[in-house]
Amino acid sequence: MRNLMVAAIVALVVAGVAAQGPPAAKGTYKAPRTADGQPDFQGYWTNLTYTPYERPKELANKPFYTEKEAIDAFNTAVAESQNQVVHYVNSDYGATPVQTGAKPNLRTSLVIDPPDGRIPPLIPEAQKREAARAAAERGGPLARTWRDDRGTVWCVFHDRVVPAVVAPYGSNFHIVQSKDYVVLTYEWNSEHRVIPLDGRPHGTVPTYIGDSRGRWDGDTLVVETTNFTPKRTFLGSPGMPGAVSMTRSFTLEERFTRTGDDTIVHTYTVEDPATWARPWTVEMPMHRIKGPMLEYACNENNVDAFTTLRNARAQEAGKLPPPDRVRNVDDPKATVIQREQKSDGAKK
Amino acid sequence: MKGASISALVLAAALVVAFPRAGEGQAYRAPRTASGQPDLNGFWQALNTANWDLDAHEAAAGPVLQLGAAYAVPPGPGVLVDGPIPYKPDALAMKKKYAANALREDSEVKCYLPGVPRMMYMPYPVQVVQSASTIVMMSEFATAIRTIYVNGTTPPPADTWMGWSNGRWDGETLVIDSKGFLGSTVGALDEEGAVHVRFLDRAGNYHTDGLHVVERIRRTGPDHLSYQATIEDPNVYTRPWTISMPLYRRVEPNMRLGEFRCEEFVGDLVFGKYQKK
Repeated sequence: MRNLMVAAIVALVVAGVAAQGPPAAKGTYKAPRTADGQPDFQGYWTNLTYTPYERPKELANKPFYTEKEAIDAFNTAVAESQNQVVHYVNSDYGATPVQTGAKPNLRTSLVIDPPDGRIPPLIPEAQKREAARAAAERGGPLARTWRDDRGTVWCVFHDRVVPAVVAPYGSNFHIVQSKDYVVLTYEWNSEHRVIPLDGRPHGTVPTYIGDSRGRWDGDTLVVETTNFTPKRTFLGSPGMPGAVSMTRSFTLEERFTRTGDDTIVHTYTVEDPATWARPWTVEMPMHRIKGPMLEYACNENNVDAFTTLRNARAQEAGKLPPPDRVRNVDDPKATVIQREQKSDGAKK
Repeated sequence: MKGASISALVLAAALVVAFPRAGEGQAYRAPRTASGQPDLNGFWQALNTANWDLDAHEAAAGPVLQLGAAYAVPPGPGVLVDGPIPYKPDALAMKKKYAANALREDSEVKCYLPGVPRMMYMPYPVQVVQSASTIVMMSEFATAIRTIYVNGTTPPPADTWMGWSNGRWDGETLVIDSKGFLGSTVGALDEEGAVHVRFLDRAGNYHTDGLHVVERIRRTGPDHLSYQATIEDPNVYTRPWTISMPLYRRVEPNMRLGEFRCEEFVGDLVFGKYQKK
């Protein structure tokens, strides 16, 4: 079983690197057209990747791997991702790296600008703002209300989808196009973006998912998004840089380009003068996967929220032992959540 | 509230829905998409009281005293074609019980996904985005989305809140066959999160996981759709029954669905008793 798995990974890896190619290969592929004559992005895609969002410091001057290095890095990351204590068999749920469609990447980080592959530092005003937000969000280790733990119990909006960041699962997309709209549905919380292509002006109402406008630039779909609500944050999920608020001056410009039958290169530039001194850019590969994608009903009987809150009240009353996550996370039997908590803490 | 006046209202409703406006209707040929299908793209909305009660109903006080006229029930002729809804005797008794406990039992109150057909006649716009192989319909309510697989034959891979929809074109009409609906919050941890059955309206009309819906949607004019849904559920009804109504195009320039993430407004209601002030 193990050998079969490795063989499958290797086969996938070889195909993956060949298909991905270095950026220089872009522009040679002509995307098929919809009946309306527009580049056809329809179908099911994933942006799951084992490439780190920010470049590790030891690779500061190395934006690209060789093919061999890329395959080695991928295999190492896959092996690490499987070295977790889980309470179910990942493969039963289509959740192993082979099943999810992730592929190696010649890039050593998803952030490609600034050239060192790291997000610019927060400006001083933003540092103060974020410190105040973090202090207000949690009054202690036990959740007070359903608003307190956005990681697992909060179903209003899943902020990993726009701008897209790395998530350990649920990183799948379904794209449907009509003449006037592109609809991107994300597996996370079944979030969907409806992107008008008719050149209409931006509105003024703030939203969690943002107010997107699309246009075609040759074979590339260009999407400009504004009007994010300051109620939400960006980044901050496990393994990601810390969360930052999205202010009213936050703008996102994305470019989706088909580079092969089964690949899209998705680049985006975020800019917010209230948070960073300069814009910065991310390149995320997207690979075709087999559909369909099922409904993600998060708010319907939100078991996580009920258990978290009910247990927190019981723990306060001394009727339950303290939550697992305050146990020693160096314990080799620590759960995934404990390890995530630890890695979050290490980044702050 | 029962009696002869209701029968008259039902008859009136059937007549109203049966006769389209002059110059529109069966003979109307819809514009075509680039792939040659009748074009259903756009923003559509029901303008009736079906979400209050599918059946004919008088005006009535609402369930929350403080909301006064703002949440009182407006009257309506109903949207049943061949109704009353043919409940089995036990199911009719349950319907009355659910109606009496609607504030707790209705998933709309908890901002749960509305399902089909209810999503189509809630008082929120529905956007249709149509490609040759796939049609998505999105409601403003709870940012709900359903996907219709054109010429799809795959059976539902799992039960879901919005169900699994395969569609086909029958001339001018899109026929959608939907199954695979969750009938309740399976394994609900707490009464506050539990929905024991799925409501079709605020009046306690309901279905179970035996639901099978066949919808027929066609253009009857530049700005109108005819919407029909035949609803079958052998657990609770003695026969299939049908609702029918027009859907109207939202013609505002630059129309968009708003972002009505009502989850944000029900957290304190649903989790209140476990929260710390």
